[in-house]
Amino acid sequence: METGEQVKREEKAAEKATSSSSVTLSPCHPVTLSRTRAWCYLVWLSWQRQARASQMVGIAVGLLVFAILLVAIFTAMGAWSMHQWRWPYRQGPTFLQWADEIQLLMSLSDSSAGGQGLQAAIAASLRGIVETAGFAIFSHWGVFLLFLSFLLPLFNLSFATEALGGEREGNNLLWLLSRPLPRSAIYLAKFAALLPWTLGLNLGGFGLLCLAGGKPGWLAFRLYWPAVLAATLAFSSLFYLMGAFFRRPAVAAIVYAFFLEVIFGNMPGYLKRISIGFYSRCMMFDAASAFGIQPERPEIFLPVDGTTALAVLLGLTIVLLGIGTIVFSRSQYQEIV
Amino acid sequence: MPDLLDSPDSGRGDRPLEMQTERHGDKETRRAEEITAPFSPGLPVSLSPCLEPVLLCQRVSKWYGPVIGVNQVTLELRSGITGLVGSNGAGKSTLMRLITGHLRPDLGSIQVLGRDSWSTAARRHVGYCPETDAFYEEMSGRQFVESMARLCGYPRREAEERTEAALERVGMAGRAERCVRGYSKGMRQRIKLAQALLHDPELLVLDEPLSGIDPVGRSEFVRLFRDLAALGKCLLISSHELEELEKLTDHIAIMAHGRIAAVGTVAQIRDRLDNHPLLIRIDVKKSAPGDNGRDSVEQRRLATGLLKLRDVVGVELLDSSPEESVDPVLVRARNPQRFFQELTRLILEEWYEIARLETLDDSTQAVLGYLLRGRSA
Repeated sequence: METGEQVKREEKAAEKATSSSSVTLSPCHPVTLSRTRAWCYLVWLSWQRQARASQMVGIAVGLLVFAILLVAIFTAMGAWSMHQWRWPYRQGPTFLQWADEIQLLMSLSDSSAGGQGLQAAIAASLRGIVETAGFAIFSHWGVFLLFLSFLLPLFNLSFATEALGGEREGNNLLWLLSRPLPRSAIYLAKFAALLPWTLGLNLGGFGLLCLAGGKPGWLAFRLYWPAVLAATLAFSSLFYLMGAFFRRPAVAAIVYAFFLEVIFGNMPGYLKRISIGFYSRCMMFDAASAFGIQPERPEIFLPVDGTTALAVLLGLTIVLLGIGTIVFSRSQYQEIV
Repeated sequence: MPDLLDSPDSGRGDRPLEMQTERHGDKETRRAEEITAPFSPGLPVSLSPCLEPVLLCQRVSKWYGPVIGVNQVTLELRSGITGLVGSNGAGKSTLMRLITGHLRPDLGSIQVLGRDSWSTAARRHVGYCPETDAFYEEMSGRQFVESMARLCGYPRREAEERTEAALERVGMAGRAERCVRGYSKGMRQRIKLAQALLHDPELLVLDEPLSGIDPVGRSEFVRLFRDLAALGKCLLISSHELEELEKLTDHIAIMAHGRIAAVGTVAQIRDRLDNHPLLIRIDVKKSAPGDNGRDSVEQRRLATGLLKLRDVVGVELLDSSPEESVDPVLVRARNPQRFFQELTRLILEEWYEIARLETLDDSTQAVLGYLLRGRSA
């Protein structure tokens, strides 16, 4: 009996030894360190730390709240339709009143059955234009001007520049660079941790903005969210790359988003094609073409189709990530004293 | 033998210096067997020495633009403690960042256990305690160390065990729940050291680890470092103070101007300095020309006095332009410490009007500065 127990104990000890021998502390033997596990943890850690991001994020969220309130007020005032529009401006009858009057005048001049049918069709199409114009108005003001040109780049830069830039400014990058993780993996992990925040804020913020916009807002969200997603990826990878390049990436990102993008975006001909905003707009124009949404002057804007624009934005994301990975892998980061 | 003190003449950059430590003596091995594994009780710890050097730097140079941070450093370490001492800007931290793979040498190569220090594989064997006082301030000490363990790739449970063992080792186990931002300098140093020890690295690079630590903590750290060395680890520890490192190890490398100015035991360095003629320039205030119409009276009086000193091996009177208000004298002297003592006495007795005194060999001056300070303390 004693011998049997002894054998069992020895077996248990052997099992224990086998399981523990997977970790050796000898310099000459491999240690069971998993890069994948470390990478996943870095994504999780970076995601958590991203939540503590700076004042920039506070400013971005504050601006989002302000924008939503503004849109909600406009929606309550009926600003996204032509119902209240008057001609002559502010003094004349509304557009719908004009439609009624036109139909009345035409019925007086032609009382035949065919003529009345034509009059009804013209009046209905006029009313239809007035009714559906809300989407075009919301797209122009709420989406293109407010969100795409201002809020989306701001949301992206506030998180993306912080991802690496914050670590560099806080001198915390050395902790990551001291770990046995490839530099390329560190770069990609931090980008992976960044995406939930930028995508969440951009798509979520866009959704809330559209929700505040009422019916035209919802239509805009259904049609434009893929463009917002693609633009978010491209902007995030660009601003994140700036974090690998510059010691103060937020400044560089602001200069790009609010100066260079505007300048490139308004360049004539093909020059505007170096701007991320251009492809985002092209995707939106393509998605909403059935609703008559198009560039003001297509012969100058020279849009590309939606698929091409999507391919460019996704390709750009991959290229920028690749460049960033190489740059980060080769860079020597010094502490900021 | 760790006696590879650079000759002052080659201290200008002609010849790389070498340092080698081998600490696998019987005494230390016996001691190592008595010490339990620091972080994983029950887990096997290999004390068998690797054949290859733990750290091998070969003619390493690093520039920051036009400024040279590390100049032609050659270094070979196996196990044991090596102290790296030098003043601010001497190149200690740069050398340590190069060794830990944070910087890349512009010239030369650095290998940790045969792997390029820049590679991920090398980082598995290096524990780095930086001088920089930066943390994830919002975390507790325990969370911070555990995060570092998880970033090494350990599973959660093992990371927790290693964290506890490391915190215990640095005396922070009972105090690690508080936020790092509320820690004293000494506690922060302990946390930095704990994260460096987590993965049981073969090479520990510790940049000013004793800075900000109270005397009790210092003695604890010294004991810990000795225990690690006895386990066969290789420790490279920097400090501003030679005296501090002398308590820890007798193997010292002195850095000055990006170069390793001297390597060996303190006694060896002192001996070599004693035998090496030091070049000193002494400027005396200009006085009337002497008999030969060229050298000034004061200059010749000083030279005569200097030649009476037993350590002086040569005196040269240099010409000065009429615009200059001083006359320079070049002196070569052995045994610097005794020479300076006698020179001081001579100046006070004879009332020479000394305008300036300068040691012309920078590296030697740095070494000398440390040694004199160390001895007077």
